[in-house]
Amino acid sequence: MLTKYLTSVATAFSPFNPKSGKTARNFLALLPPNARTTMAIDVKLLNQAQKDKPASLDLKFKDGKEMKLDLEKMKIKDIQAEVNRHSRTLLRQEELNG
Amino acid sequence: MPPRLRLQSKQLRLAATTTRAPQYVCWQCRHASTAAASTTTPAPPIDHMTHAPRPISHYPPTQPPSYKPPEFRKSQLHRQYQSVLRSSPLMLLFQHNNIKATEWTGIRRELANALKKADEELARSGDETMVGSSSKLQIVQTGIFASALKVVEFWEPKYLDQPPVNEPTDPKVSSSTPIHDTQPTNRDPSLTHGLSKNAYLAARNAKLQHGLEPLLSGPMAILTLPTVSPAHVKAALSILSPSKEIPAPKRRTTPSYHDPTVQTGLKKLMFLGARVEGKVFDMDGAKWVGSIEGGLTGLRAQLVGMLQGIGSGLTNTLESAGKSLYLTVEGRRGMLEDEQKEGKSEGQ
Repeated sequence: MLTKYLTSVATAFSPFNPKSGKTARNFLALLPPNARTTMAIDVKLLNQAQKDKPASLDLKFKDGKEMKLDLEKMKIKDIQAEVNRHSRTLLRQEELNG
Repeated sequence: MPPRLRLQSKQLRLAATTTRAPQYVCWQCRHASTAAASTTTPAPPIDHMTHAPRPISHYPPTQPPSYKPPEFRKSQLHRQYQSVLRSSPLMLLFQHNNIKATEWTGIRRELANALKKADEELARSGDETMVGSSSKLQIVQTGIFASALKVVEFWEPKYLDQPPVNEPTDPKVSSSTPIHDTQPTNRDPSLTHGLSKNAYLAARNAKLQHGLEPLLSGPMAILTLPTVSPAHVKAALSILSPSKEIPAPKRRTTPSYHDPTVQTGLKKLMFLGARVEGKVFDMDGAKWVGSIEGGLTGLRAQLVGMLQGIGSGLTNTLESAGKSLYLTVEGRRGMLEDEQKEGKSEGQ
């Protein structure tokens, strides 16, 4: 996954939710080791009682685009595809501008 | 002196198989010329020399056959995780997101320091178990760990009424016990270890749920403690996942904790939940476990206090009901008496 163009990751989820919790945790595991120096990461963990609360994953990119991802429906592969799709356009722009 | 008649080994074997009676070997003739005849050990029978003796047990009792090949790393990890799960009633689960080796070193160092401090504090109050020194923060293979957890939770070996007879494994010892065919079979009911096929089949059932399933995915690290010791949980959580209730150590007291390497590592370590004596606790539950003052004895004292409170409350309640009934009845009697008096006074 291209994480170069991410500037902010804000997520709130309960790890006890087998769907959204897993997806959000997998997303966080994909971020590089130095992610916290390049982007603002805000993780809010909900407890077991709140596991049915809708989880959120909000991303911000360098060009200012905000992405709100639906963790209930999307799996980690879908999220990766979404992020890569926008990151690739940014990459192309950067290459064209030199 | 070599035998005068040289026999081929083929002929010897033929002779051994055709004659039913045990072969007679004249020891006196063989060793007549040797001076130290008493110190030599008797040679094994001739058919043992030409063929290897049939092994009596095909596996040593400490290495029963397992379902997956035991030489695989995953089999050994499975066995190790089962042992960890059985021996640690308190376990904190973390997710580690790309923590570097240097960061791990820093985190482990700080954790060890904090647990040592907790140990010393408990030792001062008379508890010399030193739980903290035997606790361990380790990264686990999540899939194998999940499988091991299912085996530990749901594999209850049905021990046979009679334990299997110990086969004589030493061929030198002659024994009259019947020798069964000890070829390893996976479905042998006497195999009760966690790597057996029986255990595998018992744990494969998807309907059995232990409650930790949603946590068991992604990169995982566990902190294991050999006893349920709230003081150590508090010490560990203050380092690994500080919160409002369990604050991190101050910069003044432990400057090494506020090292940038440790802090960046800790930001990437997520506290997910805990497993305490087979029960699942979330973050808040684990914090509550850490906040129990004085450990199990403290909890017992709390319970006693609570029960005493309930006792006095109960007597008060029961008394009050009796009192109010008495008061009501008294009041009613007074009313009736008054009415009677009035009736009498009216009739006159």
